Amino acid sequence: MSAPLVLAIPSKGRLQADTQALFARAGLEIVPAGDKRSYRGRIEGIAGVEVAYLSAPEIAREIGVGAVHLGVTGRDQVEETVADFETRAEFVAALGFGRCDVVVAVPEPWVDVETMEDLDDVAAEFRPRHGRRLTVATKYIAITRRFFAGHGIADYRIVESLGATEGAPASGAADLIVDITSTGATLRANGLKVLADGVILASEAHLVASRTAAWDGRQKKALAAIVARVKAAK
Amino acid sequence: MTESYGSLRRLLSDAGYAFVEPPVVHPAGVFVELAGEDLRRRLYLTSAADGTELALRPDYTIPVCLHHLATGAAKRRANYAYLGPVFRMRPGESGEFRQAGIESLGRTDRVAADADVLKLAFAVADLLGVKRPKVRIGDSALFAAVLDQLDLGPPWRRRLARTFGDTKRLKGFIAKANGKTKSAPPARSELEGAALAQVKAAVEEHFAATGLGQAGGRTAEEIAERFVEKAALAHGIKPRAAAALSAFLAIAGTPEKSLAALRALARREKLDLGKALDRFEKRTQAFAGHGINLNRLTFAADFGRRLDYYTGFVFEFQGRKGSDGPIIGGGRYDRMMALIGDSGEAVPAVGFAVWLDRIGGKAW
Repeated sequence: MSAPLVLAIPSKGRLQADTQALFARAGLEIVPAGDKRSYRGRIEGIAGVEVAYLSAPEIAREIGVGAVHLGVTGRDQVEETVADFETRAEFVAALGFGRCDVVVAVPEPWVDVETMEDLDDVAAEFRPRHGRRLTVATKYIAITRRFFAGHGIADYRIVESLGATEGAPASGAADLIVDITSTGATLRANGLKVLADGVILASEAHLVASRTAAWDGRQKKALAAIVARVKAAK
Repeated sequence: MTESYGSLRRLLSDAGYAFVEPPVVHPAGVFVELAGEDLRRRLYLTSAADGTELALRPDYTIPVCLHHLATGAAKRRANYAYLGPVFRMRPGESGEFRQAGIESLGRTDRVAADADVLKLAFAVADLLGVKRPKVRIGDSALFAAVLDQLDLGPPWRRRLARTFGDTKRLKGFIAKANGKTKSAPPARSELEGAALAQVKAAVEEHFAATGLGQAGGRTAEEIAERFVEKAALAHGIKPRAAAALSAFLAIAGTPEKSLAALRALARREKLDLGKALDRFEKRTQAFAGHGINLNRLTFAADFGRRLDYYTGFVFEFQGRKGSDGPIIGGGRYDRMMALIGDSGEAVPAVGFAVWLDRIGGKAW
């Protein structure tokens, strides 16, 4: 018998609940192996599929290196975690949940800064004035670098933030942030505004296939079956 | 594998450059502060026990300059040479590779120093078996001189100055002047047209209302200043200045032809390029005086590096066709010492780095 298709599912939180619900609607009941705390499972009704429960960033990483065939994770996670994500991963289906935007947000009192072009001017003039580079707090390091480079902005420094990024300008940890937002309420509450062209990425949960994993005929069939049912149930 | 590069070492020593071997591991801050976030993604980073971020050196220039500052007065004359491993993450290539090079510090006879350094680079290329090298040269001082002579507002001048070396983006800015691309609509703000003091007061109110502090970051003053300045930015560059800039950026060819083209442009547009043009001419003469075949050199007016410590002459020995970078890169970086030193003093500096891994495996 050939190896199973490995499907990675978020192991906790809202994303897990939404994934379970969608797969159930699609007639793809996910059944944990053994007791409930197991990190492995299978899908009722489709043979040759092994389910692995992982965190959303882990899922993106495993898809990138080809350790899993298929996974449910946010587009933001894939673009952040997988180098050359366009060649290593394929976004097979958008799932309609886990929606959030990755945005560039600056302090509201920066009345002169509306666009990335403004930010470029500010970044370039920051060091001569303040003796240090402009700092950006974010956990999206790769996404920020790509986006800023695309706008020709070089004069800044990323400060890695592992939580409560939106508080960084108030605490003095950084001058501005790149973070996710769904309604913008948290940003506003922290005195921040999103730049007019500062939406880097409109993310949502996706079914993502690995282009680097080894695929045999049976696994491809299982993929086609899962994708068809999930798309129909969405 | 140990390649000794004995004859290369001898060549550089005989030319008066003393070999130094600065540390491999440095605090990462100095590299990131100088070269920006874009270099950071190529750095091999690690941490010291106390949490300080450390990096393997991505080149020798900054470590050699730090060595210079640590061992005496910044402005003293010194000639350094180096040969050893540097470390950068490079997709599909080894992250550890070898560079050789020189740094000539403290010479105030800049034109002569530029010519001496280029002559030595030719000698290195010859020693390493590079036949009939093609060398691209540029001079950011000419661009700066053109900007000084054009009718540009200060914010546009700064914006264009820092974009030098990124020709595509420069052309984008210039196109705006001719209405070829739409600029962003001006901000709909009740502050529009307000006086500086009024804007500053409004920004201060904003800071108070949001609970964000100004300490260490942008102040109400600078925000208000830039807000008022933005009116000038919104109008773009004047068509006359845009035309002159386009004509300048298109100049390319042998140094002599380029010099003639620069003169013609200066006459036509009534630009006084004074010292910058004199230096360019004197430098070209010095190249010829050193026996450098001027036909090997191609000047390009738009050729420069975006790193803000380069201040004038730059050059690149081009690799084989289809290869991914220069085999020797060099130039003048008078602003480097001011950026990394405590005194803030500018020190004349010119040098080059040889990408030994791009030239080939034979031990020289």
